[in-house]
Amino acid sequence: MFYPLAGVRHQSYVSDSKLFPVPTDRNLLIVLTVAAIAAPFLLSSLYLNSYVQPWLIWTALALGLNLATGWAGQLHLGYAATMAVGAYAAVHAARFGIPWEFALLIGGLAASLIGSLFAFAALRVKGLYLAIVTLAMQFVMDWVLNHSPAISGGSHASLQSPRFALLGQEIASGRGLYYVALGWCALVTVFMMNLQRTALGRALVAVREKDYAAAILGVNSFYYKLIAFSMCSFIGGIGGALLVATFFFLAAPEQFSVNVSIQVLAMIIVGGLGSIIGTYFGVALILLMPGIANEIIANLTSFLGLPLGNETLAHIPTTVYGALIIIFLLVEPLGLGKLYANIRDYFLVWPFDQFKK
Amino acid sequence: MTEDCVPKSFHQAEPVLQCTGIERRFGGLVAVTGVDLSVYRGEIFGLVGPNGSGKTTLTNAITGFYPPNKGTIKLDGKDITGTAPHKVASLGVARTFQNLALFNGMSVLDNILLGRHIHMRPGVIRTALYWWLARRDEMRSREIVEEVIEFLQLESVRHELVDGIPIGMKKRVELARALVAEPRLLILDEPMAGMNQEEKEYMARFILDARAERGVSVLLIEHSMDVITGICDRVLALNYGEMIATGKPREVVKDQRVIEAYIGVGHAA
Repeated sequence: MFYPLAGVRHQSYVSDSKLFPVPTDRNLLIVLTVAAIAAPFLLSSLYLNSYVQPWLIWTALALGLNLATGWAGQLHLGYAATMAVGAYAAVHAARFGIPWEFALLIGGLAASLIGSLFAFAALRVKGLYLAIVTLAMQFVMDWVLNHSPAISGGSHASLQSPRFALLGQEIASGRGLYYVALGWCALVTVFMMNLQRTALGRALVAVREKDYAAAILGVNSFYYKLIAFSMCSFIGGIGGALLVATFFFLAAPEQFSVNVSIQVLAMIIVGGLGSIIGTYFGVALILLMPGIANEIIANLTSFLGLPLGNETLAHIPTTVYGALIIIFLLVEPLGLGKLYANIRDYFLVWPFDQFKK
Repeated sequence: MTEDCVPKSFHQAEPVLQCTGIERRFGGLVAVTGVDLSVYRGEIFGLVGPNGSGKTTLTNAITGFYPPNKGTIKLDGKDITGTAPHKVASLGVARTFQNLALFNGMSVLDNILLGRHIHMRPGVIRTALYWWLARRDEMRSREIVEEVIEFLQLESVRHELVDGIPIGMKKRVELARALVAEPRLLILDEPMAGMNQEEKEYMARFILDARAERGVSVLLIEHSMDVITGICDRVLALNYGEMIATGKPREVVKDQRVIEAYIGVGHAA
């Protein structure tokens, strides 16, 4: 009963390479899926639409960056720029009267095109040099957005996003928007999980680990880095468009500034490079922790009657949040995903863990 | 190159690999010069020489990492001089590295599956629609990989991370990864370095079996002369980038210049 690996006997390669070969994981997934579908009926709209929904959208976004940085090993500091391309392309398309499902696709393809064009030049350098070049992409995009009224409406303007609709059905309720975010996040997650068991995913990891060894196996590393960047940009573009269409409801240049790029990078580093479940945790920590810490500390001080000034109160959550990132990375440098994997590995064989190792 | 030392059975066959007049310089340093060699189908061809004699440079020239400055390289009669490494690989050349080049952070199984890369068609759509477009391809590769895993007795570490297994096993995983590519030419760069006697004997048997069962031609770089004399059909000895002896292993090992290259002038008996 306790030993989740008991009785798991794969009799075919198909069953051995299932997404969830261990029944316990499958049951956990079923519980989570039910919870995710039931969430709108269990949570208040405040929690649903200002915590859970952004968490899902940002997770899909972070998974996209993780594809380039975690899987293919290419440091990318201009992710917000691709999000901006996707968002503005999709909003303009939607304002033009194109249905949202195509507008999102246009956003993704535009981001993918520009991301690939850029990568075509940027991928001639590696490592830190690539990081700097991608940072340049970020600043170029910032400049373009601030200086071309035709795209952004001007430096301090914002662009209203038309009402969101899918399949001719207008989606305006919080619940509906939540399901859209859930659906997209699930799609990206399934894609990333498939990536872990196909030749494409293996080729990306090979390029990350040792490009000369990848070459001798017939892997053209430039081509696969390019593929990684274009896929990453595609997911980023659609994610950026969804962020504007279902969460901000308007597009403004500061939503896609360099801070955002750094923040998404922090999400995947804290969560774990190349880890899907870790990305979920990392996004939760970076995105939700400041708000939650804020609330807890405000409640705590009023409960204890501590005479703390407003300024101190504003700084404590930031400090706690910074400390948490450091603590988690000290405990497990490979991120929260690895922390989860360690716990899972322990329980997989518990209480017979003495037999393993 | 004297053809009379080519074993009789190879005479009718075309050479799988034919190098003529290979020269490779790094700035003023001449790493390899005037090297001719041909490897025939089903042959195990040894490449020996002291450290720095140009053995690895020669393999790097063949596999495209450092294209030769002079000379031509032909694979099955087709000129591949200066072709990029990933294209050389897709033409049927597989190799292992002197200092292992496995992908850490991946399982043994995934490492070996990567060897199938040139036979698979990786793609974004295929990945997204795995169940309909990729699964059959993946499973077929898995079957071939499992055959090689069984052949090289790697079953027990199949799902382990490759960073965690002993060096002897790692060398075998690398051989497995090269074999699943079903290469015409297999280049093994010191596959027995750092191994004990028993592991060396295992590896020697694996190489012989790979030839017998899979008909692969092997270019073997090795320092241990017992292995060279034990399993090679022909040997080429290099010193300071030049050919000093070629022929049957036992003759090359006894060659005065080879002994001098390894032990030094004046000490040779």
